Amino acid sequence: MIVAVLSTFAVAALAPLLEKRLGRRAAPLLALVPAGLFVSLARHVPEVSAGGARTDALGWIAELGVSLSFRLDGLSLLMALVVTGVGAVVLLYAGSYMEGHPRRGNLLGYLLAFLAAMLGLVLSDNLVGLFVFWEATSLLSYVLIGFEREKAEVRASALQALLVTGGGGLALLAGFVLLGQAGGSLEIGALAANAEAVKASPLYLPALLLVLLGAFTKSAQVPFHFWLPDAMAAPAPVSTFLHSATMVKAGVFLLARLHPTLGGTPEWTGIVTTVGAATMLTGALLAVGQRDLKRLLAYSTVSALGSLVMLVGVGTPAALAAAMVLLLAHALYKGALFLVAGIVDHETGTRDVASLGGLFRALPVTAVAAAAAAFSMAGLPPLLGFVSKELLYDAALRASPAPLLLVPVAVGSNMLLVAVALSVGWGPFTGRAGETPKAPHEAPAAMWAGPLLLGLGSLAAGLFSGAISPFVSSAAAAALGAPHALTLELWHGFNLVLAKSLATLVVGVALFAARGRIRSLAGSLAPLAAFGPGRLYRAGLAGLVRLAKGTAALLSSGSLRQDLRIVLAATVALAAPLLLTRAVLGAPDALRSVRPLEAVLALLVVAGAVATLLAGSRLAAVVALGVTGFGVALLFLVFGAPDLAMTQFAVETLSVLLFVAVLRRLPRLQSRSAPRARVVDALLAGAVGAVMTGLVLAVHAEPLRSSLAPFFRESSLALAKGRNVVNVILVDFRGLDTLGEITVLGVAALGVWSLVRLRIASRGAGANGGRS
Amino acid sequence: MTLLLALAIGALYAAGTYLLLRRSAIRVVFGLALLGYASNLLVFTAGRLSREGPPIVPEGAATAAATSADPLPQALVLTAIVIGFGVQAFALVLLKRTCQEAGTDDVDAMREET
Amino acid sequence: MNLLLVVPLLVPLATAAATILLARSPRAVRAASFAGAAAFLAAAVALLGATLDGTILVTQAGAWAAPFGISLVADRFAAAMVLVAALLLAAVVAYSVRGVDAARERAGYHPLLHVLSMGVSGAFLTGDLFNLYVWFEVMLMGSFVLVSLGGERAQLQGALKYVVLNLVSSALFLAGAGLLYGSVGTLNMADAAVALRELPAQGLPSVVASLFLLAFGIKAAAFPLFFWLPASYHTPPMPVAALFAGLLTKVGVYALVRVLTLVFVRDTAFTGPLLLAVAALTMVTGVLGAMAQGDVRKILSFHIVSQIGYMLMGLGLGTRLALAGTVFYVLHHIVVKANLFLVAGAMRRAGGSFSLDRLGSLLARSPLLAAAFLVPAVSLAGLPPLSGFWAKYLLVRAGLEAGNGTIVAVALAVSLLTLFSMTKIWNEAFWKPAPAGADAAPAPLTTAERASLLGPVLVLGAVTVAIGLGAGVLYRFADAAAAQLLDPDLYVRAVLGARDGRM
Repeated sequence: MIVAVLSTFAVAALAPLLEKRLGRRAAPLLALVPAGLFVSLARHVPEVSAGGARTDALGWIAELGVSLSFRLDGLSLLMALVVTGVGAVVLLYAGSYMEGHPRRGNLLGYLLAFLAAMLGLVLSDNLVGLFVFWEATSLLSYVLIGFEREKAEVRASALQALLVTGGGGLALLAGFVLLGQAGGSLEIGALAANAEAVKASPLYLPALLLVLLGAFTKSAQVPFHFWLPDAMAAPAPVSTFLHSATMVKAGVFLLARLHPTLGGTPEWTGIVTTVGAATMLTGALLAVGQRDLKRLLAYSTVSALGSLVMLVGVGTPAALAAAMVLLLAHALYKGALFLVAGIVDHETGTRDVASLGGLFRALPVTAVAAAAAAFSMAGLPPLLGFVSKELLYDAALRASPAPLLLVPVAVGSNMLLVAVALSVGWGPFTGRAGETPKAPHEAPAAMWAGPLLLGLGSLAAGLFSGAISPFVSSAAAAALGAPHALTLELWHGFNLVLAKSLATLVVGVALFAARGRIRSLAGSLAPLAAFGPGRLYRAGLAGLVRLAKGTAALLSSGSLRQDLRIVLAATVALAAPLLLTRAVLGAPDALRSVRPLEAVLALLVVAGAVATLLAGSRLAAVVALGVTGFGVALLFLVFGAPDLAMTQFAVETLSVLLFVAVLRRLPRLQSRSAPRARVVDALLAGAVGAVMTGLVLAVHAEPLRSSLAPFFRESSLALAKGRNVVNVILVDFRGLDTLGEITVLGVAALGVWSLVRLRIASRGAGANGGRS
Repeated sequence: MTLLLALAIGALYAAGTYLLLRRSAIRVVFGLALLGYASNLLVFTAGRLSREGPPIVPEGAATAAATSADPLPQALVLTAIVIGFGVQAFALVLLKRTCQEAGTDDVDAMREET
Repeated sequence: MNLLLVVPLLVPLATAAATILLARSPRAVRAASFAGAAAFLAAAVALLGATLDGTILVTQAGAWAAPFGISLVADRFAAAMVLVAALLLAAVVAYSVRGVDAARERAGYHPLLHVLSMGVSGAFLTGDLFNLYVWFEVMLMGSFVLVSLGGERAQLQGALKYVVLNLVSSALFLAGAGLLYGSVGTLNMADAAVALRELPAQGLPSVVASLFLLAFGIKAAAFPLFFWLPASYHTPPMPVAALFAGLLTKVGVYALVRVLTLVFVRDTAFTGPLLLAVAALTMVTGVLGAMAQGDVRKILSFHIVSQIGYMLMGLGLGTRLALAGTVFYVLHHIVVKANLFLVAGAMRRAGGSFSLDRLGSLLARSPLLAAAFLVPAVSLAGLPPLSGFWAKYLLVRAGLEAGNGTIVAVALAVSLLTLFSMTKIWNEAFWKPAPAGADAAPAPLTTAERASLLGPVLVLGAVTVAIGLGAGVLYRFADAAAAQLLDPDLYVRAVLGARDGRM
């Protein structure tokens, strides 16, 4: 399995090349990859249906329990079949849909790479491994939404999707780490086996909330649903594949996968069910008012995702089984409808449902596919959608906490969705022909084959729902964490559920008939959308950028003085309290007596420094600085360091000469600072000085016991054949210091030379770098 | 005397710091020079002052006097002086070139034109 | 005398000398420069190879036993740092064939690169605090000249800030070294570690330690000491900026790790929370600073700051996993960050500007360049499976295992903003159509330019991918390095093993 996923990535990388070589034949060829995967996966259906599972593992960071471990059980097989099946159809479709597009090869490559990532996601049994694929799908979704990158709003939608799902992804990462801590493993199977410990852990709630945040953003749950309709900026095959059939279901999949570990608690049921129900209703309400085919579908997808999340939240065997069937049914009918929307757009040049009609004549095959899918979505027997809706109602009725709340929400949402289904799959094909920018013709077979196949799939799966029962049951069992046997039937007899289904259809059809009025009502309510979470996202982003600009202005004033003040203030702030609380500050014992010459020299040094401070002319300052320098040299001499004194004299002389030579060419000294700035600077400078004085005194609080000084005094002559101990240290004991010192001098000389010699004229900002 | 030198060192740091914070880039370089003196004197002092003469092995003796000044801080300071000189010379030329290019020695005026 | 420890210092020095002597022939200079970089790389590989089994290599320079002479020491962390530095140098030298103008090359560009590398590798390998100061100065002096080389106005102004703030750091460091000697009577890190064990944990040495923290904090560009970095890093040519971005701040981080795990180890009740607070503020201010910028170079510069925060986070947490995270992060970051600056140079060449307002449609113009950008950018943003993800994962896990949710929340939020920043560059420079009214598009990259500019970028990109896919290998290494860091006795015994007389 691992090899299959990884090699799919490799094929994806080659896709653009292949397209360049083969042109239009590339897409069908590439579609064979997922088709082949589909077939080889399908061979495992009997085994998995019987409760078997296959695993495969590759260590990654074994010590930390991070691995690529795959598990093929009912749940992952169901998802994998959806991914590869829809994937094959979409690739075939995309080749034709993008005919003539200069970057068709890239799109095919991205789609295939996404497919591989999605496959890896659903097969993963290790949290971190799963996360790797999870983020890969987010990133590929960004690239795919932004495929038509020339438009600014396309780029903004891509970014929005990435930031919302990426932000959730980060929460998910933290949640996974906590989960691993609570359960002692990163393997999902091992965690499920340890579920009691996980639920008893104090980390349970934070882990749960973080994981839910990740799942909800990915699966476009309220209030994060807004990114999904905006993601419709992507080309139709992308919307079909990522934003309807697969990626947005990743969150649902994850919840189902972790249900055995995390589910069943009041927190789980409460939060997941509520958010799911709210999303189901919100999506349906927002959908009916739309005019754009793809936005209609997008909001109805939000609603379906809400239903799925709600079902996983309820978590009863019936609910999980319903979720599995709905997942499959939705992938089939919604995939088909998205592809149909793409065909309609492609052939007529518009997606506005108000101006579409009577397309059956021009697009008969597409119309058949559309009708099959729409009827499934509307829940008409004998399609799979009917079966799934029956199960949904049944699960809602039997939900333990609040059937009274869930049932009306589910029925109400589905009434609205019937209208949506008919608006997309029925309305455009019937009635009077509308005025469209292009005169429609039937799409090429490569395009209608997909929706037709998926539409017929809805029919076949509905008709033979008994046959797929064991397989669907095995998926539900994986989500349940216990064996579960369910028999799907089209006919349950006359009961409450059937009554609700009938009511749904009747009201839905009525709503469809009134769609014109609903749309104008929605149009008048449109300004309310400005208060949605999408606005919050945009305002948040803008606010963040403002905050960033403010911070940047505050922190990088560009003023050297300001920067220095902060650094010096930090120095005082860190060192002064430590000095006051931890060090002994007293008059040092060492060398308490003061000799007149020494005192004079010390005063000379300070006087020179003060004079430098006050000097009004460059020359005076240099002289004052020199006084300090020579004073320091004399202090060295007095305290037994003639070598230092000599060096200091020499260096001082050179420095003064250098200063004079350079400063002659510079402007005169001016006093520019404001009085207040001077006071602040003087206080800061005084504090720095005080800290340093304090440090010197503190060091003298204890006698220095060094084994080094005696060693050097004793070994200088004996071991290193030198009488001047300081020189011996410099050239021998610490010769490496001297090597570095000489290097510094050499580089300084090189630097002075190059500064004087090399002048590249400034040509405004950004004129440097590269020999352009 | 140690106390006196500790105070002198503090004064040098204070004066150097104050100069670093001036708008005139020339004064900034003076400030760097003062900080250099201050640090050197600090290292020298922290290694303990001695009036017992330099650490030199007298002719005829095998070792330097045990009371002579600690040679190691001296070696460190010597290295630091030389490095400091190189750095300062470079800083000075850099200052000159910068003032020439910027047309001023006012560091507050040396901001990027954005 | 273990040559392995000396060669990484001598090869750059010899190369610097050779490139000065050959200055008349630019070709010979480049050849010598590249040969030197390759030899440095080989030496670094050998050095790392010798430390992999846990050996801590020690050489006493001049054969004077510790603590009297200067010890050169290489544990796993140090050796790995030298290796990454060498890799980076080789990439930068190759990139410079087309990435730097001839005038700069004639003015000592190549010798300076090697001197800088010598300083960096000295800083990694020395076991002596004053010697570390000397190597810092070598490195700084090299960087001073490199940052000002060329003498353009913006460059000089940036250089002045860079020089002044770094000299403040040097002054603090020097004072710290002197005061440490004044209180414990030694400069050898291992020896100081032993001496400090006998003193109270919160005594004077911990006060002196604050000077080291400040000095290294400035070098590492930690909050609130990072100002020199965004003021200067965008001004020199991109290969220079790449070398700086990759190495210089990390030397500061390395020094912090070294002194806090070896010398000043006993005051974690104070340093731990301090480092974590600094880490959080560094991450946040850095990333916010980046979000405000519209120039690729400045965006990248601020992100260096932000990511230093992650490295400090691991050090502040102080557990084995956290330190492994820091080691992993540092190694990954050097490659990725330097690479991004190199890419920025190539973007300028292909798109005519560093400004996002004036760049556009680079994806259409050069898909190879786009790929070259994507790898380090995605890694920097911490997306799997590239190196940055694992670095982030280790730190996040370490933080949560240590029960510190706050720092983890900050780290994750900042990583989202980093992603935002990278997509901003991608959106504006690669996706967006070239703006109307911008200068005419520069000529497409020639084959020679592709080789010189994109070749090194792709090699570094391959390293990033390899680290990501083979994360287990680097993790095991980082974990072993962290274990070594957490057991200072190993270091002390290796250095002070034989204390008497000449060896």
